[in-house]
Amino acid sequence: MNTFLALSKKEITQMTKEYKIVWLPIVYILLGLTQPIMMYFLPAILQSMGGIEGIMIDPSMAKPEGREVLASTLNSQFDQLGIIILAIATMGIIQGEKANGMMAFILTRPVSVSSYINSKILIHFGLAVICITLGYAMSFGYTSYLFTAVPITQAFLALVFYCVWLLFVITFVAMMSTYFNNSAFIALISIVVLFVCRFCAGLHPLIDVINPASNSLYATSILLTGEVEFLYCFNIIVTGLLVLLMVAIMHNFIAKKKF
Amino acid sequence: MRLEINNITKRFKQKTAVNDFSMVIDANECVGLIGPNGAGKSTLIQIIADILYADHGDILLDGQKISKMKEQIGYLPQYPNFFSWMTAFETLSFMGTLSGLSKHDLQEKIPLLLDKVGLGKEAHFHVGTFSGGMKQRLGIAQALLHKPALIIMDEPVSALDPIGRREVLNLLKEIKKETTILLSTHILSDAEEICERFVVIKNGYKIEDATKLELLDRYHDSAIFLMIRKEDYSWLTTIENLPYVKKIESCGNGFKIYVNRLEDDAHRLLQHGLDSKVVFIKFDLGIQESLEEVFLELVV
Repeated sequence: MNTFLALSKKEITQMTKEYKIVWLPIVYILLGLTQPIMMYFLPAILQSMGGIEGIMIDPSMAKPEGREVLASTLNSQFDQLGIIILAIATMGIIQGEKANGMMAFILTRPVSVSSYINSKILIHFGLAVICITLGYAMSFGYTSYLFTAVPITQAFLALVFYCVWLLFVITFVAMMSTYFNNSAFIALISIVVLFVCRFCAGLHPLIDVINPASNSLYATSILLTGEVEFLYCFNIIVTGLLVLLMVAIMHNFIAKKKF
Repeated sequence: MRLEINNITKRFKQKTAVNDFSMVIDANECVGLIGPNGAGKSTLIQIIADILYADHGDILLDGQKISKMKEQIGYLPQYPNFFSWMTAFETLSFMGTLSGLSKHDLQEKIPLLLDKVGLGKEAHFHVGTFSGGMKQRLGIAQALLHKPALIIMDEPVSALDPIGRREVLNLLKEIKKETTILLSTHILSDAEEICERFVVIKNGYKIEDATKLELLDRYHDSAIFLMIRKEDYSWLTTIENLPYVKKIESCGNGFKIYVNRLEDDAHRLLQHGLDSKVVFIKFDLGIQESLEEVFLELVV
């Protein structure tokens, strides 16, 4: 436990020194702001950009409801640019220390592999949750101001579901980071796989149950309909199991010293 | 602590780095692992430090598997690498915490240790600004910090300047009374100074395991080293034909004269020289080869 705390403290200090603790929240706040502001000014933008001849702008169409805006923040900002940025920010999570020998060096100390992996994943997950929450809160505020207000309990529930998906994202990138040695490749393969997961979500109810990206889909549907179905909890359990499986694979990989 | 290495074999894709290597190091013994580049020294050391897996064999520390005894081990990698954003003090404090030292302990020990390895003034500098030698010193400090019973060092002094080497060697001499030390090196004069026993490894095989005295005895030549004035060089041609002189070899500024029975023949040779009015600048009996020559003889 003591080593876990020491490693976690080291991760946090490292994030501070690398300014990750500054720029990642800023990026997410900007992402969160973009969606409501862009949607609010969309009619004006279209107008000023010209090319309106032949296009009829229906004022009632151009003004969506607040919950729609918030939902689109999740699935068109955070789930696209957000995942790319997150994958790039976490791609070196284990690969970096693997490449410079720090991981092997740390493990010559009485440190268990699980406290090493857990400290990495938990701290990075923590940072991601903080960033998403900040960005989401910004989006929530602007949406309520520019469009209609969204019930706070629904917004919060949606965030919780989204964070489950986020845990999968972080663990998956960490697993890729354990396996591969090229950081660009890690980012690329993570982004591709996560996008495929995200696009598959909603295709078929059966796939949805085992697809961790469904959590993101559920988050948006909670926002849009306000209902939480029983099926959603099942997906959380499946995602949790997948995360545990990935941690076990990483543990095995590092403990067997295949790096 | 007693370290047992039993039949370690490690294969990489193209080659077998360590081949059926066994040895026992007794408690508080200091053993030098020597061998040419690529002999498998580092691989063996990394297996002992539990960084690499051995394909066969096991390593026991006091009868326990080494992976369960990590708090008793201090390890110095060949190229110690640290987080460049940490200061020397923070690095030691981090490493010490991982080894289970208390905060109070660390506050007390670290400044003393940094002074000992000659980094007292740089305690609060970032490791990123350190030179290779300074990193090496920090690496030595982290290996000693938790007072391990076994210290494994991969080329501890190769990257240091003469002052640093002296400091580190003195440090090692100081701790070796109560610590088992295994160090790999190819700088033999340093190993000679602190190690009593040498294990020579070549192509993954153990080819020699002996104490320094045994080694030197075994490769002891019955030869005489002498230096004479240039004017007397003609005398050498006359002694070449003497029955007890086997061979004359030029060596540095002098000559090595191989004989059959060292003491008697030396006496006769000296007498012969004096009779021929040769002026001896130097006359050494029974040349002890340096460890370096023994090493060369073994591995080449």
